[in-house]
Amino acid sequence: MQIFEILNTSKSVVLAGHSLGGGVASLSALWLLSHIQTTAPSTSVFCITYGSPMLGNEPFSQAILQERWGGNFCHIVAQHDIVPRLPLAPSSPLDVDRLRALFVQLALQLSDENKAELFDKVLACMEARFGPAAGDDHQERGWYWPFGSYMICTDKGAVCLDNGTAIIKLLYLMLAEASANSCMDDHLKYEDYVTKVCLQYLQKRRLLEVSVSESSSESGIALALQSSRISSHQEPVYGTAVNCLATARQLGWRRNLNTAKMAVSLSKINPFRAEIEWYKTYCDRSEAQLGYYDSFKRRGASKRDFKVNMNRLRLGCFWDDLIDKLEKNQLAHDFHKMSKYVNASQFYKLLVEPLEIAEYYRTGMHREKGHYVEHGREKRFKIFDRWWGNRKVGDEESKPRSKYASLTQDSCFWAKVEEARDLIFNVTRKPDPGRRLLLLDKIQRFEQYANGMIERKEVAVDVLAKNSSYNLFREEWRCLKSQLQLLPSQFPDFQDGMVQ
Amino acid sequence: MMGGRLGDSIGVREEVIQKACKLSMKAHEKSPGKPYVHEKNRGPTEAFFAFPGSWAVEDWYSRRPFGEIKVDVSKFPSMKSVGNDEIALVNEAFSRRFEELLSRSSLATEVEKAMSDRKQIVFAGHSSGGPMAILASIWFFEKYIRFNHYQIPPFCLTFGSPLAGNHIFSHALRRENWARYFIHFVMRRDVVPRIMLAPLSNVEQGLQFILEFLNPKSPHYLQYEPTVASNFLLSVMRNALSVASRAACYLKGCTNLLLETVASIVELSPYRPFGIFVFCTGNGKLVVLENPDAVLQLLFFCLQLSPEEENSEFVHGMFKQHLAYESELQESLTMQDVTYLINLVDVPLSADARTNDAAALNDLGLTTRARLCLRAAGELEKQKLENQKKIDSNKDTIKEALKKIQEYKMSCEIRKVGYYDAFKIQKENADFNGNVKRQELTGILDEIVEMIKRYELPDGFEGRKEWIELGTLFRRLVEPLDIANYYRHLMNESTGPYMVKARPKRYRFTQRWLEHAERKPVGFSSETTFWAEVEELRVKPYAQVKDKVLRLEEQVLAWVREGLLGKDVFLDESTFNKWWRTLPFDHRSGSCLAGFISK
Repeated sequence: MQIFEILNTSKSVVLAGHSLGGGVASLSALWLLSHIQTTAPSTSVFCITYGSPMLGNEPFSQAILQERWGGNFCHIVAQHDIVPRLPLAPSSPLDVDRLRALFVQLALQLSDENKAELFDKVLACMEARFGPAAGDDHQERGWYWPFGSYMICTDKGAVCLDNGTAIIKLLYLMLAEASANSCMDDHLKYEDYVTKVCLQYLQKRRLLEVSVSESSSESGIALALQSSRISSHQEPVYGTAVNCLATARQLGWRRNLNTAKMAVSLSKINPFRAEIEWYKTYCDRSEAQLGYYDSFKRRGASKRDFKVNMNRLRLGCFWDDLIDKLEKNQLAHDFHKMSKYVNASQFYKLLVEPLEIAEYYRTGMHREKGHYVEHGREKRFKIFDRWWGNRKVGDEESKPRSKYASLTQDSCFWAKVEEARDLIFNVTRKPDPGRRLLLLDKIQRFEQYANGMIERKEVAVDVLAKNSSYNLFREEWRCLKSQLQLLPSQFPDFQDGMVQ
Repeated sequence: MMGGRLGDSIGVREEVIQKACKLSMKAHEKSPGKPYVHEKNRGPTEAFFAFPGSWAVEDWYSRRPFGEIKVDVSKFPSMKSVGNDEIALVNEAFSRRFEELLSRSSLATEVEKAMSDRKQIVFAGHSSGGPMAILASIWFFEKYIRFNHYQIPPFCLTFGSPLAGNHIFSHALRRENWARYFIHFVMRRDVVPRIMLAPLSNVEQGLQFILEFLNPKSPHYLQYEPTVASNFLLSVMRNALSVASRAACYLKGCTNLLLETVASIVELSPYRPFGIFVFCTGNGKLVVLENPDAVLQLLFFCLQLSPEEENSEFVHGMFKQHLAYESELQESLTMQDVTYLINLVDVPLSADARTNDAAALNDLGLTTRARLCLRAAGELEKQKLENQKKIDSNKDTIKEALKKIQEYKMSCEIRKVGYYDAFKIQKENADFNGNVKRQELTGILDEIVEMIKRYELPDGFEGRKEWIELGTLFRRLVEPLDIANYYRHLMNESTGPYMVKARPKRYRFTQRWLEHAERKPVGFSSETTFWAEVEELRVKPYAQVKDKVLRLEEQVLAWVREGLLGKDVFLDESTFNKWWRTLPFDHRSGSCLAGFISK
């Protein structure tokens, strides 16, 4: 309750905690972030933890990144502190006692033996996973994994990292330099570390022991490692640390670069999309009165048809590539929230999915795999549905449409038409009465849905073209209904619902 | 390019600098009634205006935390970014003092007198007199140079001046090509130029003391209090560090998301350096640089103390540096040991290096970390130039595509339809091809706009004539098509009117470019949105929009006469004509456009 009062009066909220308190702070911050997303999006939340144990696994960290909350968390870790690293080792009841002793600040009473055992165990676990002998794939699901930024403090300065792999490697490398005593003592020395770190940057210090390279990136990394107290004399530790910082930095840059490149590719594929739009206008006006969907479904071998099909495939490739990059985490974390892509993908979906459906039914895939909506829909369209659904809706007023939409607002409309026609076909094959009722009910529901769409003018003109599949459906449905009315005794319930 | 003697490279003779410095110090001594010192040289060249400082805290900070306000654009119309339309921020206390000075003193008259004598005008100030000189110079540029009323740009010379404006100052002055007339001398260890990097709450107490210490008229002049002084220094340094390292993260392209959150919680000083900075190392050498990002880094790093310097005596010396400009400059202007840090990308990282710049960097006491920041500032500048090169390489593609659209427009006229209406109907192949060209063009322009939004192009970009012209041509030819597309898809029904909800930045920006370059009021060049006006008016009842219709008709008449709007808008089948004919007869018969539309 107190926090709600604070939210009403403050622009920003800072949560902080030491040790287990850090975990509580992180969880509170997460709760607060989820809460204010809808109520007070301009409030900023910042969470600082000191020596807090790791909290969640890799998907947990990924989810935080995707919400763009990574920047709201800063975990400060003293160079040798064992507590943040503890969750990386499986725990035993014995450890719990030791921890309790540690947490009630009785570190001194913990016997040297106990300290050593705990230290050895954690170090061994970390070494097994991140040491020189371990493979490169550290991100097994289920393991604890860092989220947000980590600031690792030493008596020489601090390094700040946001790349999970780099954080965990550095935590390992630095623990390897620790001792059973220092890894306990450090947990209680945060005040000291934090005060010193700030002063250190105000002072002029020269790079000692490190021979200065004239390359900016090399000396940048050398400075960072000097702050982490990993000196160039400690091979191979130094080399590993250099690599891991360099990789982390490149990853961050590549993400930005890819995001920028994507914008360029998007503008390059726009002309293909325009060609399809043009094709739609052409179809809707053609004398065959088939409409966009059916023209494509029944297309011949003309150059125009061929070209549109090529464009359909090209656009599909572009969006698949984009989704692939997104899933591999090679694009900005909040890429799927950028309105530019949300809008472009929605437009693409409305324009091109009817063609995908046409292709599906043209090639008879529904007979092999089942109907499109359930069995044939490409993953990308489902993803775009989600993006569109999650977008921030502004204050735009929604007036009723005065004309038919330029694109049918439900991109699966045609798939539903095909399904309904299939249902009619099934009814005419005279199944048993129970099933028959079920089918008729489904058809009726589709009809209601379609009428609603048309009434609200949410369909494009191609739906109403004289020879479109939709009009075929209506014709077939009318025939069926008149047949059914000849046999009213068999369907008393149904007839009641048929009054129009 | 810079090199050689300081006077030659910055365009101000050494005697002028010394004179300006002397007058600036003298201005402090003057009676409080006199708001500036004016010295006319008998000779044919310079007229000096030197401004005294003020030693009251409220003349430095108007309020917490940093006391900044938007500049008065009616007086300083150039002090903004053009496309983004971001107005520069200025220190309110300084700006208020200057306003008073301008309205209550004879400054304007005396300046005009000097102009009539064809003098080179020099504005100068020491300490908080510096910002007065800065604002007076900008005022002069805006009032006389911008309108070509006077051909000799003034010089602004400041000595130990506090920062007065935010990053838009630098951006705007560079765009207008005025930045090089602002020359700021800063002693390496002078704290005053850094004060504005700290919020008032952190320095309030110390500032009062320091101002007394520096004020020659105060009973506490030069009375020193070691603890207050060192606490004050520590606060300023701490804040300078925050500002500089935040900026350095940006320069180095750091991608950590933490920066954003911290920025929203910790309010950092908005003030940034601009113009040319001349750092005096204290041993007679001078280091000159123009890159504002690099200057900001130096403002912090030159202040860093090494362990052996952390004693009360040394700190006392630092505070006294603020009063030592005259003697220091006398020495260094004679010595002429000047280093111009031009190629920041290659500054040596090691203190042992033997290149030209190396000695100067050592004299400023720069660590490797500091040098990395200088390099990063250089890299960013280089990157901006490269971005510009890339953008420039698109010019021919744009021209080619615009030619295609021009041809399309003409082909439509032959068909007796305006290209706006043809495009809206989208019937012919040519309409489709026009649409493809439109998309190509908008892609290129949007990329440019994105870069401008993020300040990723050189500051001068929005002032370049060839781009203003190309942007205007693009806007005149393509915006009608964008509007046609918008209303063709009835996006006004789902999104709202084009002008309110949907006008793309590529047109807003290019319109502002032209209006700024031609010194025209906002909205002056809005002929390209004519069709959006028509589309909105035609769905409303006449009685409701009568005034708007009348105004639009007057504008149309003017635009058609100037050739900004083609006569194709009057064709029989055009949306405009069809709508116009539905207006009440009384209106039509009295309309100024009646002659254009066939009965």
